[in-house]
Amino acid sequence: MNFLVANVNEIKDAWWLYLIGGFITLFIIGGSLFFARKAYKRSIELNFPKEKIKKTIITSISFSILPSIGIFIGVITMSGLLGIPLPWIRLSVLGALHYELMAVDIAANGVSVTTLTAENFVTISFVMTIAILWGSLFALFFFKKYQEKFVDKVDAKDKKSFSNLIFQSVFIGLISAYFGDAFAKMINYQVKEVVDGAYTGELIDQTTYIPLVVFVTSFVFMAIFDFLVKKLNQKWLENFQLSLSMIFGMALAVILS
Amino acid sequence: MKTYRERMHYYGRIFTVLGIVAMIAVPFSIWFFSGVAPNVNDLFAGVLVLSVLYLPGGIIEVLTYGPILGTSGTYLAFITGNLVNLKIPCVMNAKDIAGTEINTEENEIVSTIAVAFSSITTVLIMSFGVMMLLPLKPILESELLAPAFNTVVSALFGALGYKYFKGNLKLVIAPLIFVIILSLVAPSFVYNNIVIVILLAAIVTILVARVLWVKKLL
Repeated sequence: MNFLVANVNEIKDAWWLYLIGGFITLFIIGGSLFFARKAYKRSIELNFPKEKIKKTIITSISFSILPSIGIFIGVITMSGLLGIPLPWIRLSVLGALHYELMAVDIAANGVSVTTLTAENFVTISFVMTIAILWGSLFALFFFKKYQEKFVDKVDAKDKKSFSNLIFQSVFIGLISAYFGDAFAKMINYQVKEVVDGAYTGELIDQTTYIPLVVFVTSFVFMAIFDFLVKKLNQKWLENFQLSLSMIFGMALAVILS
Repeated sequence: MKTYRERMHYYGRIFTVLGIVAMIAVPFSIWFFSGVAPNVNDLFAGVLVLSVLYLPGGIIEVLTYGPILGTSGTYLAFITGNLVNLKIPCVMNAKDIAGTEINTEENEIVSTIAVAFSSITTVLIMSFGVMMLLPLKPILESELLAPAFNTVVSALFGALGYKYFKGNLKLVIAPLIFVIILSLVAPSFVYNNIVIVILLAAIVTILVARVLWVKKLL
């Protein structure tokens, strides 16, 4: 069978590209199950309560659904220019929408769906893949050393130690930064226009108070659910309180818009 | 005999190498199957420019999030991606619900299971979405739902923020004031450079924590 096709429209939605996407998906599922199984076996050796494992699984799945739909919308955004399978693959492994759009912009500046060539498409796929690998490479070569030389010096069990506060501070810094992100969008928010999965070079003013309102609403609902779980003993809510708070926050965004 | 963690480093590294090979195999397969070679000049220029932006980010992410994710969680998350918008909050939430502490074996178990099932959920939703693209596309792209999915990250960190802000009121004030001032002075810097803002806000919080800890105010 002759696979060789130079027409970009045939390449970007070729069946073999879907097949590669399927293979990547299976690789991630296989790897995840492998490590989850190792962790589960270890939990038995340590007499770690099964109930907590079950809770972790339920809460992680329910928590991941909404952000994953958000990530999938990125596939739709990019599909106009790059077809379905490449964005699907890129956002399944180490991808992020803003990074991929930037890669398109840099690898094939000014390209649009009508001017995209097969060469552009292949070049974009290489650039997207290679430049995002730094974190994985660093983890591969240096994470073990870093863990032994730094992380192990921190006694996380000692609640009163300063080292324990470092981790708390990183979490708080992370959340504060996203509060800042929502706050900044209320002050002035210019977005690069995307048409058919590529930047047009135009800026659109999208200054909005909605992300901040959503942040605060989700925060308040989380407080309400926390009250229901802890004071009114509604334990069943515990695994879903985060997802439900997010849904209420996002629903308000729809209403306000 | 090797400890559990040493074994996880071993398997994690194998998984990382396999993951990198699988990722790189994608563009090479496109080249092979289509018979069209990449433009070498654009390729090198593109990788260089993006690496200038993403190499420091990648290193900072391993240093900052590695301890939170644990051993196998780190290797898994640095192949499956979506760290800051999904894997980190997912692990933070699971850790709170299971009541484990960072860098303990119990937390290794919880974070690994959280990252694994979060990754599986994401790839299954993505695959389902690809299969159902035609009926789903108009719904997900509708003007009505757009604001909801544009604000998913704000919703996520708002909800998660409650648990962390509640128990650490003394630590929260300084980074919040810092990001508000930064947003007023340079809003585009904040939403365009979130990795750097996270790092700066974390440093501010650590400094305040240090001062309060020394003065025994925490």
